[in-house]
Amino acid sequence: MNYVRPKATRLFSAAAAVAAALVLAGCAPASPAPESGSEAGSEAGTPVTGGTLVYASGDAEPTCLDPHVGGNYPQALVASQYLETLYTKDASGQLIPWLAEDSTVSEDGLLRTLKIREGISFTDGTALDAAAVKANFEHLLDPETASSTGFLALGKIASMKVVNTTTLELTLSTPDSSLLESFSMPWVAIESPTALKRSQEDNCAAPVGTGPFKVESWKKQDAVNLVRNADYVQPVATEGHDGAAYLDAITWRFIPEAATRYAALQSGEVQIIDNAQPDTIAAAAKTQTIKHLDAPRPGASNRIELNSSKAPFNDASVREAFIHAVNVDASIDSLFFGTAPRSYSPLSSAEPLAYSAESLFAYDPAKASELLDAAGWSERDAEGYRVKDGTRLTLTFPVSTSQSIPAEQSLFEQLQATAKESGFDVKIKLLDLSSWYGELFKNDYNLVSAPYTKVGPSVLSVLFHSDSTIPAPSGYFANLSQVKDPSLDALLDTAGSTKDEAERKDLYSQAQKKVLEGYYLLPLYDQQNHFLYSEKLRNVGATTAVATPTFFDSWLAN
Amino acid sequence: MSTSTIARQRLAPILGRTARWVLGKLGGGIFVLWAVATAIFFGIRMIPGDPAEAIMGGPGSQASAEALAAARAEYGLDQPLYVQYFSQLWRLATGDMGTSYSLKTPVAEVLGELIPPTLVLAVLALVVAWALALVLAVISTRSGAVGTAIASGLEIVSAAVPHFWLASVLIMLFATALGWLPPVSTSTPAGLVLPVITLALPLAGFLGQVMRDTMARAQRSAFALSARARGESEIGVLLRHSLRHAALPGIALSGWAFGSLLSGAVVVESIFARPGLGRSLLSAVTARDIPLVTGVALISAAAYVVIMALSDIAERLADPRIQAS
Repeated sequence: MNYVRPKATRLFSAAAAVAAALVLAGCAPASPAPESGSEAGSEAGTPVTGGTLVYASGDAEPTCLDPHVGGNYPQALVASQYLETLYTKDASGQLIPWLAEDSTVSEDGLLRTLKIREGISFTDGTALDAAAVKANFEHLLDPETASSTGFLALGKIASMKVVNTTTLELTLSTPDSSLLESFSMPWVAIESPTALKRSQEDNCAAPVGTGPFKVESWKKQDAVNLVRNADYVQPVATEGHDGAAYLDAITWRFIPEAATRYAALQSGEVQIIDNAQPDTIAAAAKTQTIKHLDAPRPGASNRIELNSSKAPFNDASVREAFIHAVNVDASIDSLFFGTAPRSYSPLSSAEPLAYSAESLFAYDPAKASELLDAAGWSERDAEGYRVKDGTRLTLTFPVSTSQSIPAEQSLFEQLQATAKESGFDVKIKLLDLSSWYGELFKNDYNLVSAPYTKVGPSVLSVLFHSDSTIPAPSGYFANLSQVKDPSLDALLDTAGSTKDEAERKDLYSQAQKKVLEGYYLLPLYDQQNHFLYSEKLRNVGATTAVATPTFFDSWLAN
Repeated sequence: MSTSTIARQRLAPILGRTARWVLGKLGGGIFVLWAVATAIFFGIRMIPGDPAEAIMGGPGSQASAEALAAARAEYGLDQPLYVQYFSQLWRLATGDMGTSYSLKTPVAEVLGELIPPTLVLAVLALVVAWALALVLAVISTRSGAVGTAIASGLEIVSAAVPHFWLASVLIMLFATALGWLPPVSTSTPAGLVLPVITLALPLAGFLGQVMRDTMARAQRSAFALSARARGESEIGVLLRHSLRHAALPGIALSGWAFGSLLSGAVVVESIFARPGLGRSLLSAVTARDIPLVTGVALISAAAYVVIMALSDIAERLADPRIQAS
């Protein structure tokens, strides 16, 4: 899943290199290379057991290795190596049971019965059973744990009951059609209940799960050392192998600087890097030793939200004008070197229920001008910006420098330049994360771009339901376009509780159509999640439901 | 009058001066530390948002009201600001630097782990910078106008080079193109080479400029002339007399240089992925981790104060004239 076919040229050069190598080695491929868009053709060979994979992460170093605490992407990345989830997604993107064996729901949608798989143990020897899962949910729902993502995902669970060792009954306060998708997220991964009884500090340092690797040690600002779980049992047989992982160990390093990360990959000091920048992806495509895995994150697409709660975007035609005034495609092409396909949906392309509406987002300055004239912004001042009743058509755009990569910041600057031609004065403010949130909490923005990762279309409720305009005690609210539309709320509520998959799909499509046609957001591209890796590292490509790579089937060629 | 009385009478003013000097340094140091703690305390609170969010995993956390309240109470954030300020000063004065919000470990423990790598980096960089500056100064003084011009050009360029740029160039050259050295600072000594050079080069340029000027002036001075008249060789004059003069401004600048090395460490440690104070300061500021930011800043300030005092002492030892003044 989530796997985008590499560009034809890249595939060809990789294939050519392999063919040449095989000829030189005096042998021919036994069978035609598989076609499926995987790089299996270049990954021919017998898996080798052993070796330490060095992974270099550009994400922030987690402050806690247990993704129950907090709950962000850096935690998900590393935790996917040692923790497993009740559900996951298979290679085709379908939700499948993993640590859970099965699940049923009552007619009214309020009683969810989970069947837990037998024969699986945590790496500390504790057996996986219904009570263990209950202990995890309790841990997540305990305010002391300070869980954010996991806490929200389980918010509808009212009570739990262990029926027997393999059966757990959950009583919900309202039906939740996205519960199983929530169970597939690493922030709701299942940990050893014995280990959870330790202090939070101890559990943060070395959480205990059922995954193919386990945490051996963590040297802050340097690396998390993971070693193979020799007794690993894969809950569901996949195309790969049985038993333990091929790799002896993984050294999970933190290298914040993108150029250093790429240099370390080039020099062979590390075998895989995340957060690969567009220019290095383009450079890597020219080599034969470095390969590319593009695994867009699920949940929302990366988008610019238009704050509809205040002038000038409380006028829908001004929102529409802005969207036609910016030339997004040309800028994305030039700044992202063709690595980021344009999105026209509120949802990631990794989401099966994503609905796109390309026709709404054409660059059309003439139409923008027409709309602005009609909306009363017909005058222009000396600098060429539009004015109405003596007020300039100004848009404030706070940008978080820790969430927007340089290419994205340049994209925003180019959008600012094209919007100026139509008379918009876009004021970009580059801010650190805290100050950026500060501007949002004060409602001091017209445009904003914020990532949001969650499995499944229910992320739409997080982002566009009017309930999400009400700030949490910390000041945080997720509905940044501040849409308050009762008919949209009704669509999202019904979609969130229906048991009928076809109805769910239809309702979520209608909801997406509504926000797109209301010009509440400008979709840009999927959340960028690019990995570059050495050709010596074979069988990369398997990812979890949130597109973090897993290395159970991977091996290091000599 | 016995000789010991005379000695005491002669020694007394010197001891008094030394005591005054020590007390002055100590007082100045304490003042600097207090100013830093105060500036950090109020500075960080000017950033919009609630420190309790930082404790709960960042400003975007969707922590519940109860959890936020619990965090506030636990870290004393529910107290009036002046109470928080004075209680923090009191804790700091008694050596308690608190617990890091983001790492949930005592700041003293975090610093204990991060000071050694940064200290190694800074001290090595200072030593290398000194060596480079001295060699450059001696060679250029020995090789006439052309040599001086070349050395001066080199010094100006290297003094002006930003760490960020230099590090990138060194990585591209020695790690990517030549493959001689690792681009990330691993636990091996080889990993230290590029970070140390990145920090040392600009500093060497700066020190070299000052030292070479002083050395050239010393070479033309009366004592150099008299030494030559006594039959001292040219190289002997340079090493035995002029070098000592040239070292003086270098020593005086080393205190300042050490401070600049600590700020350079923020960049260098991030680029070369090296654990240390600089890198943790960066992440602590981003995470609004007030205790950790305060701890790193205080340690840096304390190091600065101590190094300044040491360079003062070294200067007095190298040049007795300073004591008289």
